[in-house]
Amino acid sequence: MRRSFVLLLAALLVCGLTASVLAAPKYGGIWRDALNANPPDLNPVHATDTTSAEVIYQIFESLVEIDNEGNIVPLLAESWTSNEDGTVFTFKLREGVRFHATTEGGKPTANGGREMTAEDVVWTFNHICDPAVNSERAYFVDMIKGYADYREGITDHLAGVKALDKYTVQFELSYPFAPFISILGYNSFMILPREDVEKWGHREFNFHPVGTGPFKFEEWVQDSKVVLSRNENYWMKDADGNQLPYLDGIEFRIIVDHNIEWTEFLAGNLYQVYVDDPYYEQAGGTKMTVNPETGLKTAVTNLGLFYERPQLGTYYYGMNVEKPPFNDKRVRQALNYAINREVLIDLVLNGRPSPAKGVLPPGMMAYNPDLAGYTYDPEKARQLMAEAGYGPNNPLEIDLYYNSSTLHERVAEAMQAQYAQIGVKLNLRVLDWGSLLDGVERGEYGMFRMGWVVDYPDPDNFLYVLLHSENIGPQGNYARFNNPRFDELTKLARLETDTAKRIQYYQEAERLVVEEAPWVFIYHYATFSMVAPFVRGYELPSFGQYANKFRAVWLDR
Amino acid sequence: MGRYLVKRLLAAVPVLLGVIIVTFILTTIVPGDPARIMLGQRGSPETIAKIRAEMGLDDPLPIQIINFIKGALTLNLGYSYRNNMAVTDAILARLPATGMLAVAAIIVAVVMGMSLGIISATKQYSWIDYGSMLFALLGISAPTFFVGLLMIVVFILILGWIPGTGYGDGAFIYLILPALTLGVRPAALIARLTRSSMLEVIRQDYICTAKAKGLHNAKVIFKHALKNAMVPVVTIIGVEMASLLSGVVITEQIFSWPGLGRLSIEAVTNRDFPILRGTVLFMALIFMLTNILVDLSYALFDPRIRYE
Amino acid sequence: MEYAPVIGVGTSAEGQARSLWYDAWVRLRRNKLAMLGLGIVVLVILLAIFAPYITRYDPTEQLIWTEGRAAQLAPPNAKHWFGTDLYGRDIFSRVVYGSRVSLQIAIAAMGISVFIGTVLGALAGYYGGWIDEVISWLMNVIYAFPFLLFIITVVAFLPPSLTLVYVAIGLISWVSIGRVVRGQVLAFKNQEFVEAARALGVSNRRIIFHHILHNVIAPVIVQATLGMGSIIMTEAALSYLGFGTQPPTPSWGLEISMGQDYLLSGKWWWSIFPGIAICLTVLGFNLLGDGLRDALDPRLKQ
Repeated sequence: MRRSFVLLLAALLVCGLTASVLAAPKYGGIWRDALNANPPDLNPVHATDTTSAEVIYQIFESLVEIDNEGNIVPLLAESWTSNEDGTVFTFKLREGVRFHATTEGGKPTANGGREMTAEDVVWTFNHICDPAVNSERAYFVDMIKGYADYREGITDHLAGVKALDKYTVQFELSYPFAPFISILGYNSFMILPREDVEKWGHREFNFHPVGTGPFKFEEWVQDSKVVLSRNENYWMKDADGNQLPYLDGIEFRIIVDHNIEWTEFLAGNLYQVYVDDPYYEQAGGTKMTVNPETGLKTAVTNLGLFYERPQLGTYYYGMNVEKPPFNDKRVRQALNYAINREVLIDLVLNGRPSPAKGVLPPGMMAYNPDLAGYTYDPEKARQLMAEAGYGPNNPLEIDLYYNSSTLHERVAEAMQAQYAQIGVKLNLRVLDWGSLLDGVERGEYGMFRMGWVVDYPDPDNFLYVLLHSENIGPQGNYARFNNPRFDELTKLARLETDTAKRIQYYQEAERLVVEEAPWVFIYHYATFSMVAPFVRGYELPSFGQYANKFRAVWLDR
Repeated sequence: MGRYLVKRLLAAVPVLLGVIIVTFILTTIVPGDPARIMLGQRGSPETIAKIRAEMGLDDPLPIQIINFIKGALTLNLGYSYRNNMAVTDAILARLPATGMLAVAAIIVAVVMGMSLGIISATKQYSWIDYGSMLFALLGISAPTFFVGLLMIVVFILILGWIPGTGYGDGAFIYLILPALTLGVRPAALIARLTRSSMLEVIRQDYICTAKAKGLHNAKVIFKHALKNAMVPVVTIIGVEMASLLSGVVITEQIFSWPGLGRLSIEAVTNRDFPILRGTVLFMALIFMLTNILVDLSYALFDPRIRYE
Repeated sequence: MEYAPVIGVGTSAEGQARSLWYDAWVRLRRNKLAMLGLGIVVLVILLAIFAPYITRYDPTEQLIWTEGRAAQLAPPNAKHWFGTDLYGRDIFSRVVYGSRVSLQIAIAAMGISVFIGTVLGALAGYYGGWIDEVISWLMNVIYAFPFLLFIITVVAFLPPSLTLVYVAIGLISWVSIGRVVRGQVLAFKNQEFVEAARALGVSNRRIIFHHILHNVIAPVIVQATLGMGSIIMTEAALSYLGFGTQPPTPSWGLEISMGQDYLLSGKWWWSIFPGIAICLTVLGFNLLGDGLRDALDPRLKQ
């Protein structure tokens, strides 16, 4: 009886949903949301983390953006072309896009709400690459022609970016670079109004951000909240020609603890919430329906709408292949065979992420569904360990370094128990994030936890960045993996413009990595979000919940 | 009195210097590069080197300390590594929240502690006496974070009397649980001390005399005994200030309270050393000032004490 | 940290020492609360020593891999008196074994505090002059330092280990003992028996260690017992914030913090039992410490 009532309720809600898509959106209301930390930097040029990015996406816009399915689509650029060999990219800008005219309680901005033009794009990229500004992510675009000369002070500007006319910008690269367009969608490359940046200086701009986005900056109470208001001059309109955004504003409260966030959501004080494992069932996580095409899972309960989907990211335990015992391939393979990913994911992680066979997550270009990977095989693991000289008389003891967090804790304790089954003693060493990163980069730790979520949706951002021998150390190759054939393949794929060929290169490269096993491949992330029942127009990006945008969200009540 | 104050303040200077030196040594010997943490995963060595220079991390330690002290004298404690906010601004921004919490906790401690202590003393060996002493024992023995957790479960989740945690823009209702959590321990200590010093005073001659003179019981207690009992209470506040400041760190963490405690913990995890140094120095300063105030206030409650 | 100034302990001659301790024991036995405290402390120590004989499960054994979801977060039942956690580990076992970590850290950190506090306090009190000034300055600096932040800063940045935790706690919590010892030594050093020893040509070191320290043992024991409770709470707070004991070693603070997430969704047993264990243990040490103070120094009582 009760069950059928719930079903009925769910059916009604789903109907309500479909109906509401057809209904005209309602204007007004404040979006109430939470951030899990005080954002370090709201200036896109200096932001490196997802918390800052979540706010930055609302205030600023880049030339292109990554849509909810992970495709590169136009944003401030309407269209673009490239030459034959992929070294010159020409962007046609959207006309009539204006920077915010007012900010922080109606005060006029320095730019006065003028139109964004090609000159702004040129200035922004010069600003990002300016050696005096020292942008943390400037090196993402180091293939732009003249980058090195500008950085070293030989020239006073970035030669490779030019305004051809008021709405046309040209980027020239020093060498062909296939993932270039997708890099421009990264959250450091937002187009900025020169007057406002110069008014505050690039450090202080953090506290007074001004962009072209759907929401304007109002107030930031440190450790407490960030408030944004509707940009009444926003350029984008919905399919029916209605002015976006629908919301009057956004209030992000800074709530560090997921448990507290959850109680606040239940109390109706938040419209979106992170659903931690203890609340998974309550949120409807065990009764989700899957869209086979996009992988998007949804559940409708009386609490709200729960979305979950695979995220472009991989969770792994890296092994420093230069350090014994990890210089022995058999040990690395044994550690991969020894874990039961399915049970781990099912029991400890509520079945949310998907088991990792290799490096690339599903949904990523060149993802190989036929990759064999490692399955749970404790016999084989024990045998490989024996071959490597370890056994009951000579048990292997290893230290796993990871940074403190409940999630890592949960996974690590489970891994420990599984390794004990093949006679390996895993000692857990919790560090803060800074110490972990430091030791890992210097190659000090044999085994360490890491995760990687894409910056730009291209296999390059996984395979080249994390495993090419050029990137050993701080650049991203923490396992210090060094394989000439792999290096060659990932280099070829960078320069190649033919997608089919690139996929071929990447798949071969990934097979090499899996065979050599510099990581214990654990799982591919899932991203998820729950919103209140009256929320409409919300979509969960496969890129990660932090990249969600509220320009088309409205409140049906 | 004035001379005494100047003397005490001067004596505080070398102690604060010591605190600065200890903080610098602690933050310099630890492994891990703050410049790296700013950059997140994957930073280029070139950028790291530049940021290190910008932060002054390449200077030798004594130079860094001297620069810090020079700055501190002009109320410039440097800039956050993480978001470049002036440290003094960052502290000032959190001060109202922490100040409110600390004052509320002290009020809870004094009011609750003294009333329990007085009731216990006047009704010695009654069930009220045993009850409040049991509370006092538990209050001293329960860790702050556990008390906070229980408060959240009982008052927010089960009873629903309090809407949630957080600062709530300073609304009073949000202050109740953190203040109780932080105030329980000093309240328990004050209750015990008030009780024993009241008992001591009640047995003394002048109270008996007062009673003999026919003064009303309650009046006697309040007029004489209470004034004397204030001395240990004030002492407790001074002695407990250190615990209170550590309690602030934990309480703010549990209740998402945007104050100095959380600022300092986040400074540790982000290696935001300027913020860490600033908050440590500030807390040490508050601690020492309170202790001077406590010593001065003895004169107020005990006329036998005079400061030359 | 509670700091109760202890003023002059009665007698000092060696011959009377036995009766002093005997008298104290008699007084302690008459104090019901103190005996309750002693009982709790002895019980916790026994649990720590005989943990393997008391518990049915290994505290790190994860039952979910063999028994599946049924063993996960099971409420208290006949098999698992305190229920199980996310991995199907027996919480009763973990609470019992957790006493080992708490006691180990408390004893080690207190050992360090007593050592540093006694040595520096005695030096400062006996020699006076610049030695006293430097040591007193150091005590003031440490006293003014927000102690939790000090410990967190040390523990967060260095490679984690149990040793680091108690060394860090010990390094900052010796001050109250140092002050007591300094005060006692100062009060005694000009008394007759010390001057007599000096006149007989006994060296300074002997004087400090044999004669004066003999008289500070009682107040140090009181301070140390009361301090054990604070150390146990500090360790728990550290583990709770994620800076303390390393898993899978069962630590009460860590258990509370891991169970906290589930506490709020109704699975209370993971956090509550370790929480009660901490409260009871600290209570035991506090009661015993109060009792010892009263017993060893009758003049302070009433």
